[in-house]
This record gives sequence, C-alpha cells and structure tokens, in this order.
Amino acid sequence: MATLTTHLKRCDLISLEGRYDSGTAPELEAAIKASMDQDVYRIVLDMSKVEYFGSAAIRVFVVAYKTCRRWNRGDVRLAAVPERIQHVFELAGLWDIVGTFADATLAVGSF
Amino acid sequence: MSEFEICVSSQLTELGGIAQFITERARAAGLDDQRVFDVQMAVDEASTNTINHAYGGRQDGQLRVCCFVDGDDFVVRIIDQGAPFDPETVPSPDLDAPIEERQVGGLGLYFMRQLMDEVRFFSDPDHGNVLLMRKRRA
Repeated sequence: MATLTTHLKRCDLISLEGRYDSGTAPELEAAIKASMDQDVYRIVLDMSKVEYFGSAAIRVFVVAYKTCRRWNRGDVRLAAVPERIQHVFELAGLWDIVGTFADATLAVGSF
Repeated sequence: MSEFEICVSSQLTELGGIAQFITERARAAGLDDQRVFDVQMAVDEASTNTINHAYGGRQDGQLRVCCFVDGDDFVVRIIDQGAPFDPETVPSPDLDAPIEERQVGGLGLYFMRQLMDEVRFFSDPDHGNVLLMRKRRA
C-alpha cells in the first residue's frame, strides 16, 4: 500500500493504492493533512488502485471533505473509483454527494 | 463440515492477514467476487470494532476468526475475551443528513448489517463474546 501526492497547479493529486482499513487509513489522513498544511484544499483522490476502503477510510474522507469545502475554499473529488469501492460510498450515502470523475485527468481539470 | 480458523492478537496491523484468510476461505466456499468482498468487509469492520472497543486499544488480547460452510450459508464466527458489546447502544448513522452534520461513528456496524444476511452478537461464558455472521453463498 502506498499513498503518493503530486503537487499540480490547480490542485494536489493523491494516488492511493491497496487496502485502507483502520490500521492503514491514518496514512491517507496524513497525506491529506500534508496538503492542507500547505493551504491546498483542492484535492483529487485517484482511487484506481484501491482494493479496499473501510469505514475508517470513509471517516477520513468525510472529515477531509468537510474541511476542504469550508468557506468555499476547495473540494475533495474522486477519480477512477473501482465498482466495489463505489458500492462502499453508496452504502455510506456519499456517492450522490461527492464529485466523481472517470479518470484523474478529468478530475484535475474540473478544478 | 470443515471449519477454518485464524487466531491473532488485538492489533490493527493484523487486519490485512485476517482479510487475506477470509477472502481465501470465502472464495473456496464458492462465493462470487462481490460476496467475497462483502464478507471481507464485514469481517474487517467487526475485527476493527473488537480491537478498538472490546479490547479498548489493548494489544495483548486475542481475536479468533473461524469460518465454515453451513448448507447454503458461509458462516463467520469472531470470538474475543474483551469487554462485552451491546449493539443496541450504537446509534444508526443518519445517512440522509447533510454531510456537514453527519456524525462519523457507527458506520462499521451499519456496514456489517448491510453486507451480511445475519449478524448476531451473544456472550458465551465458556468462550467470551461471540459474533456470528451469515452470508448466502449464492
């Protein structure tokens, strides 16, 4: 599992890989916090290589989503979400709320 | 009827190994990919709750995950000796509330109930806390 951040002009692109359970979700939390610490609140999560995204990761996402959107300063958008991970977002009642894109290029371009 | 079991310590770093064990067993029991994922997720959430709540972060507890086929069902049993758990005390998450107002807790148990066909908690004086979950194999 590896979480990699690329700083782009419009936003930060965070590429996720592998399993995000309670033990590993803090890695995602740290990556998002590192962006926010740089005053970057426009974030794309590239989900294409995510194998698992449990409730701990969903909690990290919700907190990041709320924080980034505060005062209209940004957003967290999802790219290339695998079908099973989409189902997790649907179960959590988030899929229809969150901005989702077919791939990272489209998501980055949306900012 | 073959029963398979993995016994691990109450640490979040064990979750990956538990997932691998239950994925292999569910697949061998003939579940399709979506059902395997559902079972794996329910077991992950249940194990997380056990480690974080039943053992309260203590790392020297023990967690036993057993599984077997019972007719049309794939059955998972998770046993621990931590603090007893009363699922009635966990409020259901309000998934219709605006995201700004959502509480971030209670999702794990909610996921387990959505993903499995049966989720039952009980206390067994000989074993400890027992969680029994069933998933139809097809």
